[in-house]
Amino acid sequence: MVLATDLKGPDGRLLFKSGTPLSSRHATLLARVGVEEVDVREDTALTAEQLREIEDYVRDFFLYANPDFEPTIAMFHIALDQVAEAVAEGWVLPDLSRRRAVSVEHLEDIFLTGMGTPETIVKHESELASFPDIYFRIREVLADERASADAIARVVGTDVSLAAKLLKLVNSPFYGFPQEIDSVSRAVALVGHRELSTLALGISAINYFRDIPPELVDMRGFWRHSITCGVIAKILAETQTGLSSERFFTAGLLHDVGRLILFKKLPYASTEAMLFARENAIPLVEAEREIMGFCHTDISKPLLASWKFPETLSNMVNHHHDPMTFPNPLGPSVIHVADTLTNVVELAQGGMYAVPPLDEAAWEQLGLDPSILRGVAESCRKQIEAIMEAFF
Amino acid sequence: MGSLFSDSITLRKSIGISDDEFVQLRDFIYDKTGIFVDGKRKYLFESRLTKRLTALGLPSFSDYIKFLKFDPRRAAELNKLYELVTTNETSLFRDLKQLEAFQNNVLKEKLEEQRAAGRRELNIWSAGCSSGEEPYTLSILLHETLRMELARWRITITAVDLSPAMIARAKEGVYGDYAFKTTPDAMKSRYFTKEGDGWKIKPAVARLVNFQEMNLNDPLALKRVPRSHIVFCRNVIIYFDQEMKRRVVSAFYDNLLPGGYMMLGHSETLHKISSSFKPVFHPGTIAYRKEG
Ligand SMILES: C[S@@+](CC[C@H](N)C(=O)[O-])C[C@H]1O[C@@H](n2cnc3c(N)ncnc32)[C@H](O)[C@@H]1O
Repeated sequence: MVLATDLKGPDGRLLFKSGTPLSSRHATLLARVGVEEVDVREDTALTAEQLREIEDYVRDFFLYANPDFEPTIAMFHIALDQVAEAVAEGWVLPDLSRRRAVSVEHLEDIFLTGMGTPETIVKHESELASFPDIYFRIREVLADERASADAIARVVGTDVSLAAKLLKLVNSPFYGFPQEIDSVSRAVALVGHRELSTLALGISAINYFRDIPPELVDMRGFWRHSITCGVIAKILAETQTGLSSERFFTAGLLHDVGRLILFKKLPYASTEAMLFARENAIPLVEAEREIMGFCHTDISKPLLASWKFPETLSNMVNHHHDPMTFPNPLGPSVIHVADTLTNVVELAQGGMYAVPPLDEAAWEQLGLDPSILRGVAESCRKQIEAIMEAFF
Repeated sequence: MGSLFSDSITLRKSIGISDDEFVQLRDFIYDKTGIFVDGKRKYLFESRLTKRLTALGLPSFSDYIKFLKFDPRRAAELNKLYELVTTNETSLFRDLKQLEAFQNNVLKEKLEEQRAAGRRELNIWSAGCSSGEEPYTLSILLHETLRMELARWRITITAVDLSPAMIARAKEGVYGDYAFKTTPDAMKSRYFTKEGDGWKIKPAVARLVNFQEMNLNDPLALKRVPRSHIVFCRNVIIYFDQEMKRRVVSAFYDNLLPGGYMMLGHSETLHKISSSFKPVFHPGTIAYRKEG
């Protein structure tokens, strides 16, 4: 039996740290200082040595962040606990010196470093492949304030797989409706016109990226990151007054869409950037800037513009790494914080990148107490699997 | 479930570096090596170097800076510092497309030129060679290209790096799986022999390579490198600032024989650094030629 939480005396002073094994000696001692009750748990399989290893492992991913900033410290503790839980369940900490050895020597970039711009890339992309028709039809309904539930249902219904995904999603715990929703028009009625069309828009965009070379990046992992960010963003947005939280899932879902275009167009440089990030223990976005001279949000800007993506959504996506440079920073700040927390919870799933620094001013925008983060991380965990299932 | 970790575990474990100390140390490293440490990496820096402070029993970064500048043991400490601020990522046959273009164009051209002039000699400089994978790869390419004729050539690959530890590993020439991730199997079996857990470079290949510790920020040392037909400096200048990039590239220019070539890493260009070279475009790479 060990202590489950830090034990403080009546005067608030720390008596024993969480994890301390309890013996009869403690019982006598505690009785003497007037502590009557303590939280205990069964001793886990983790040794003190393992806990120290976990601590070092996790800390290494936080070296890009301000170690004295309270929300960052809260995130550090979330990562510690989630990694410990994973290890207790049998996960072996990856050896950092053995970065995944990928060979992408057969993949060719459309231009050499310094010889093209984000605009070149997006232009090349849109000349080659046309965006799904269904996307633009949804875009139209979304723009039309007075479109009826039926009209939306009709458009979505023309794409069977899209309709199926939407239904799975609205039936998942993410929405938590008490009864089964069995038609798109019912879903529109319950979820709302805007939210449902925004979702449909996001989902139809995902389909476009089926052809990323699997050896380059684990696409399941990529979408898990995106969905996690979307879920967290929506939860955070709900804490804010005056934000319509409906858009945030979709914005989170697509926040790294620029990266997908980079994978398609500059696969070699993208791999170099991933390697460079891991090797230098810096966030991926920094590595992109070093290696390519621009980053994935520089790509999403012309990309989303060419898709005529709704502007409020585009702004959140485009500014998720520099939210405070946007005149109305709250929306981008939500995605920024969500993305940072996503990187944190991913550490327990083998995430290999340094946690990007949390923009302190962006955090202030949300006006939240850092203690909220733990609950957010916990509740999103329960929802991810169901959504992953709906999508893939 | 409660946390397995005490709330009192802090994220900060390192000795704090003040902004002033950071700037001093960064300038010191820059003066020594030309490596520029971005302010964004302050905490990373702090945490890595704290290990050195602890090992030396120094209470603050100011003391560490003093140590680096004045202590009789500073030379050894400098090497430790270099190891902590450099990145040695490399592999054999790194960037196959570039190497192919190099072998079929640049190398071919140089060899033919030398043959025609009746001078069967070739000098290659691998600057920032890390643990030796790059110069050995070049030696292998020469073996593949010249085959039997190689015996009639005088070839020197001068391979230098800042880190004594890397040079020592390079001289050993034993590599594990990671180093071979993009190496064609035929090359591995032809030029390496199994040794323990790894593979060791064959003496015939190693013979062409001359390893040396060298700081690219030391102009006098650079002048001692034999004049080259080809310079490889890949994934090194990315760590330098603009000024240092210019200096190093201009040293390569001076070192190159007329008509010589410089090859950079996949993500590096001479844009805004030098206009002395003529860029020659090949699929997968640019070779920078010194005209004349
Ligand atoms: C990332 S490795 C590149 C290795 C190899 N050229 C390649 O492309 O695979 C960079 C190397 O440059 C070396 N380096 C950095 N600054 C240096 C300097 N001022 N003088 C000499 N070598 C330096 C480092 O020690 C490191 O081994």
